[in-house]
Amino acid sequence: MSYQEKNIAVSLVCYTLVLGYFLTRLSQLHQNGDLNSADLFGLWAVVIVLSIIITIVGAVLMHAGSAIIEVIRTGEEDPKIDDSQDERDKLIDLRGTKVAHLLFSVGVFLAMLTYVFGQPPLVMFALLILSGLAAQALSDIFRLALYRRGF
Amino acid sequence: MGKSRVANNIRKLRFHHHEMTQQELAEKVGVTRQTIIAIENAKYSPSLELAFRIALAFGSPLEEVFSYDSQNDPI
Repeated sequence: MSYQEKNIAVSLVCYTLVLGYFLTRLSQLHQNGDLNSADLFGLWAVVIVLSIIITIVGAVLMHAGSAIIEVIRTGEEDPKIDDSQDERDKLIDLRGTKVAHLLFSVGVFLAMLTYVFGQPPLVMFALLILSGLAAQALSDIFRLALYRRGF
Repeated sequence: MGKSRVANNIRKLRFHHHEMTQQELAEKVGVTRQTIIAIENAKYSPSLELAFRIALAFGSPLEEVFSYDSQNDPI
């Protein structure tokens, strides 16, 4: 597994965790029957901050883990970790971004549709953040598939 | 996805160049080993620039390294 693949795998785990947290908290609020705009926007803020922090921590841990593995494998004190992106990595990245944008656009459209069909605005806002997280996780899966199967 | 229509002789050429490893070729042309593996297995078609760099690394003309399967082409 290359450095780029590991990076994507870490990102996938991070976004899946955040998505899991968001869905759990949302269902808790829904079951308690006290889902209001303050709670939902609070959850929005927590999810956004959490995704930034968890992604940064994940990337740092992955880099440190790679360095430790390289030290053990090669026996060098300062091993070189090849984290450079070549043309294939950039192309896969671009395709993944395209998939993420497409999925997020579909999510935004569906969220708008719920409002048009008479659902409360809270449902629309919940679907917006849900589609953002799901689009990121699914684009990571797509990128990993491109690395594995070729294109 | 799947196999590309651009075939190549990279594996054979590496063998004839003192059994050059994929890593050595990757370093010579400035890509990762994974990209060389994908090209060798016809899972990725390189850019024209990278194709020329690979040909230069072997000191061979481009058409000796890469070939294109033109069967079923509309032209």
